[in-house]
Amino acid sequence: MNLRELVRLSLQRISANPLRSALTMLGVIIGVASVVAVVAIGQGTGRRISTSISSLGTNLLTINAGRSANGLVRGAAGSATTLTLDDASAVAALDSVAAVAPGVSTQQVVAAGRQNETVSVVGTTPAYLGIRADQVWQGSFLTSVSDEFGLRVAVLGSTTATNLRLDASAIGSQIRIGGLPFRLIGILQPKGGAGVSTDDVVIVPLSTLQHLLSASGSLSSVSVSMVDGANSSATSSLITALLRVRHRLSSTQTSDFSVLTQDQLLQVASTVSNTLTLLLVGIGSISLLVGGIGIMNIMLVSVRERTREIGIRKAIGARRRDVLAQFLVEAVVLSVLGGVLGLGIGALASLVIGQVAGWGFVFSLPTFVIALVFSALVGVVFGVWPARQAASLDPIVALRYE
Amino acid sequence: MSAGSLASTAGTVPTAPQIVSLQNVSRTYRIGVVDVPALVDVSLEVADGEFVAIVGPSGSGKTTMMNILGCLDRPTSGRYLFDSVPIGELSDDQLALVRSRSIGFVFQNYSLLPRTTALDNVAAPLLYQGIPRAERRRRALAALERVQLADRVHHQPSELSGGQQQRVAIARAIVTEPRMLLADEPTGNLDSHSGAEVMDLLRELNATGRTVVLITHEEAVADSADRKISLRDGQVAA
Repeated sequence: MNLRELVRLSLQRISANPLRSALTMLGVIIGVASVVAVVAIGQGTGRRISTSISSLGTNLLTINAGRSANGLVRGAAGSATTLTLDDASAVAALDSVAAVAPGVSTQQVVAAGRQNETVSVVGTTPAYLGIRADQVWQGSFLTSVSDEFGLRVAVLGSTTATNLRLDASAIGSQIRIGGLPFRLIGILQPKGGAGVSTDDVVIVPLSTLQHLLSASGSLSSVSVSMVDGANSSATSSLITALLRVRHRLSSTQTSDFSVLTQDQLLQVASTVSNTLTLLLVGIGSISLLVGGIGIMNIMLVSVRERTREIGIRKAIGARRRDVLAQFLVEAVVLSVLGGVLGLGIGALASLVIGQVAGWGFVFSLPTFVIALVFSALVGVVFGVWPARQAASLDPIVALRYE
Repeated sequence: MSAGSLASTAGTVPTAPQIVSLQNVSRTYRIGVVDVPALVDVSLEVADGEFVAIVGPSGSGKTTMMNILGCLDRPTSGRYLFDSVPIGELSDDQLALVRSRSIGFVFQNYSLLPRTTALDNVAAPLLYQGIPRAERRRRALAALERVQLADRVHHQPSELSGGQQQRVAIARAIVTEPRMLLADEPTGNLDSHSGAEVMDLLRELNATGRTVVLITHEEAVADSADRKISLRDGQVAA
């Protein structure tokens, strides 16, 4: 018997009892659908994160104060008091550096009217706007004057503005940051982006915030923009070398700062989103496993129900392997059919989710192929035992079975 | 001795080769710790083209005889030569091959595949011979025509009468052109009219040269065979 005959026979059997076949396949359908949808969501999120990181400008570097274990995670607060304004100026003097924006950040309660929210407050200089590729939606940004005189003026990120129910008409009104009055001078354009939202922020002049925190001189970060065509990793090494000299670090000491390029940030983001996707795929795989057990269960029942049929087939000349192949192919056809249906449902779900979330339809051929291969594998793994049971039936006993 | 018995049997050609030859065959079942003999030291021969009835009351070993003759089971001791092949020495798959090529079964309860059309039922044995679909279909149709069921090819067993189902079973048994037809109480579940039809059909098939072995407990049915072999308590009665 060739494979085509076997598949034909299986399809006949499966369509003879559609409800039961559908219920048998349900586990595999749900498993495959969830894996496909989850992978699509993971890829969509990853795509969105990388877009939002790119929106910060591709020639951006960030110097963060503090020792770090792997160069990406910052040390505990308080360990970072070594980055200074002079460091920032020294970096700005490098050939490949276009501009720097020293920054201090802190979490503060920001209140406007009856609304209040704890957000990240960043103290920085006017150069920040250009370096971060931000745009002002309403009002204006910080000026050199506001920094020089330590004026209590603030620019809000779009999310913060929405949360505090402030719109264009609020420009010029008073808000309170950490209990102190500030004048709202501008609201930024939304940049979008999931995961690393840069829209929930309050920007004030650097000197103002340093004064407020009684932390004059020390910075928590410096944003650096490179000149066009500069190599980000070379510039990153240059900055590292410069600051290590300035901080008088011996070659055995670890840096008390870290330089992060956009590439590294992208890497971190994709690592996070990949890990998350993997986790969810793992959960989906468990339901695929449960689906396989469902198929095995039904196949075992089916072998028992069809004992006489097996006896008849053996009497009219079916060999052991013919019966084995028949039941194995039936299990595989069931699971692959379930896999195809699951793919369809999963693709539909990711299409809908993609539309709602706004990243569109993420089609990934490898996912589709892997999902199909896995569902076939499930059929083989969970079909072998019932098929062996069927094949090993004694024809005499099977023929007399009622 | 065998030559003498053959010569005295009407309708057989004395020089025909033996298709079935049982030599001192015993079959013992082990039930718990007790050995229960079902066939004891049976020797018999069936010539090619013969119509033989094996007759005996229930418990006489008919079913065991049918299993052995049909190559579904092997003797515990003794030799069974089917078409000169020592059946006791074959593996399960080799037995399946012998059944597939040389034996057609007709059972008391028809034993058709459920929810499968008459055509597919009749074509099923050809599936295991690796015959292409179109050829299977052609031969199954011819076999169904042979049993006068050409107008019922797309009916399922549940849509056919007992007599029709048994005729489908006979069509399935002859579709592979086997050397021997083995019919186990073929009329047992049928009314007398349908039963007579089935017996007529078996006789017709025998008339075209096919060996038919009929296993029954009804003397009247056995009478239509050329030769009767009586079983009593697992032994051939004189």
